[in-house]
Amino acid sequence: MKKIAYLAGAAAAIAFAGTADAQLVNTKDLSVDMAVTIATTAVQTCKAQGYNVSAHVLGRAGEVLVAMRGDDTGPQTFENSMKKAWTARAQRAPSLNFANAVKQNPTVGAIHLSNMVPAQGGLPIMIGMDAIGAVGVSGAPGGDKDEACAKAGIDKVAAMLK
Amino acid sequence: MSITEYRLAGVALAGALATAFASGAGAQLLTHKDLSVATATEIATTAIATCKQQGYSVSAHVLGREGQVVVAIRNPAAGFATFENSMKKAYTARATRAPSGKFAEQVKGNPNAAQFFLANYVAAQGALPIMVGNDVIGAIGISGAPGGDKDEACAKAGIDKVAAQLR
Repeated sequence: MKKIAYLAGAAAAIAFAGTADAQLVNTKDLSVDMAVTIATTAVQTCKAQGYNVSAHVLGRAGEVLVAMRGDDTGPQTFENSMKKAWTARAQRAPSLNFANAVKQNPTVGAIHLSNMVPAQGGLPIMIGMDAIGAVGVSGAPGGDKDEACAKAGIDKVAAMLK
Repeated sequence: MSITEYRLAGVALAGALATAFASGAGAQLLTHKDLSVATATEIATTAIATCKQQGYSVSAHVLGREGQVVVAIRNPAAGFATFENSMKKAYTARATRAPSGKFAEQVKGNPNAAQFFLANYVAAQGALPIMVGNDVIGAIGISGAPGGDKDEACAKAGIDKVAAQLR
């Protein structure tokens, strides 16, 4: 019986190794130059509108690529910009979507993760359907204004997102 | 003295001290200069670009007066440890108000130096304090070049770029 179990295990291993999925994953990721351009454009766009904001650009795994603390911003904006970006990356959607989802269901499971925040101002950075990262902005008087600056950052590098 | 008397004495003493502090010449707001995000970004990006010209991919941190992150840049082309290391080098430079390489020299042969019991000290060259006169307003740390001296040269290029603003 034991032998048969071993054999079954070996057969399963071979089946996995032989499937079409058993190959390396091919991905594109943000370069440091693109990430810096997105963040600085977002911060400058808001500054031009009279708002001091902090910004985070996160990569595919939610790792920090660029973090910027805005002039004269409250300490919460730095954290919040990270969490907005993390939320957008996690859900591959604007963080506004999560804000709306939490309105509908305040006990939605994802609210218990450390870095999810139900606040507008984070956008995923997409190549087609692939979320390669996200940008989050915090500090403007209104999440819509934060999001507009985040969008300006992504728009600046749109030509390279392919 | 009864308990009440002790309490009254305590209140009187506290009041006297408060008055003394309030009327001291030191009782006024502190005035100092701090990095703007624009200046900090220019320092960091100049440092990264300088190292890139020399063929090195590096990550960078610019910390402010309290050691807080003002700008952090991870270079995906550099090793992942460079992000943390650039922060810790900068922290070390800010804390000691000196190049992090100097701390590295000082603790050579002393693996139990007290500073190592703090979370963010690192005995590695590659960070410089950002000064306005004798005031340390922050620090920049670089990691990723093959040698702390090369990291430090890029950090210096970043500070040099904004030297005119540092006054």
